[in-house]
Amino acid sequence: MKPLILLKTLFGFAPNCQKVTDFLADYVEGTLPEKTVKQFEEHIGMCKCCGVYFDQYRNTIDLMKEGKDVKIPAELAEHTMSFLRKNANFS
Amino acid sequence: MVEHERNNHTVEDGQPSLDALLAGDERAFEMLVKQESPRLFRVLIRILNDEEEAKNILQETFLQAFLRRDTFRKESKWTTWLYAIGINLARASLRKSKRLSSLGDQDVDRMQPSFAKGMFVESPASWDPLKLTEHSDKHEILYQAIDKLPEDYREIVVLRDIEEHSSEEVANILGITSGAVRVRLHRARHALRAMLTQHFEYEKHSAG
Repeated sequence: MKPLILLKTLFGFAPNCQKVTDFLADYVEGTLPEKTVKQFEEHIGMCKCCGVYFDQYRNTIDLMKEGKDVKIPAELAEHTMSFLRKNANFS
Repeated sequence: MVEHERNNHTVEDGQPSLDALLAGDERAFEMLVKQESPRLFRVLIRILNDEEEAKNILQETFLQAFLRRDTFRKESKWTTWLYAIGINLARASLRKSKRLSSLGDQDVDRMQPSFAKGMFVESPASWDPLKLTEHSDKHEILYQAIDKLPEDYREIVVLRDIEEHSSEEVANILGITSGAVRVRLHRARHALRAMLTQHFEYEKHSAG
């Protein structure tokens, strides 16, 4: 952590690493107040540990968003409907 | 028969109408099955990690929705109710097969970042960007990591981060508060990050 952010953190003018890590989900979601976003970004920009951790947290989410790429079995809906026609008493 | 005439009471805004679903109308259910099968299948396969069982549970989910349609409460969305049925059936299937997740709550605790006086106890190991972009199995590594999570964490990660349902929707599907969704999601992401680090960190070279 660079001296300036370390001093600010020590004197309570900026969130420490633990607080910044607690904010990650809300930051990614865009639900942090503007003032906290500024403090968060200032900390991330100056603290190597938090910068690395934030990138990995975001990469993990990005990788999951690619997780929709599932091969859907052929005729999934048709087979499900055949099952329903056999077992459900449709009106 | 002309399509719009045939489906006059069955369809509302391109969705099967609630009245038709509640009446057990076949065409309304057919439309529901066509619309929701791919998404629900994706959720089930990520929770169960078994294609055949995911197909079986998918069929059973729609059948249960049909049989129990009288118990549907109109204050929630039909699809939320459908997903809740699917998740409950998937849980029962996992219990029956005794295929338990390999990690427990204590393991998830252990994979959370540690701090002393508000600072990281240990610097996080950096990921090799080449591994992250070029690792041909990176998605498989992720799915295996998700599969290791305890079920209640896995469900939230799949619904929220993969399928991108809102926190409120996930809370309604799982019958828990939005706050609980947010806390569990955050903890699950920390745990996944820790598991992925084992694959994506720079190679460690021994000194000797």
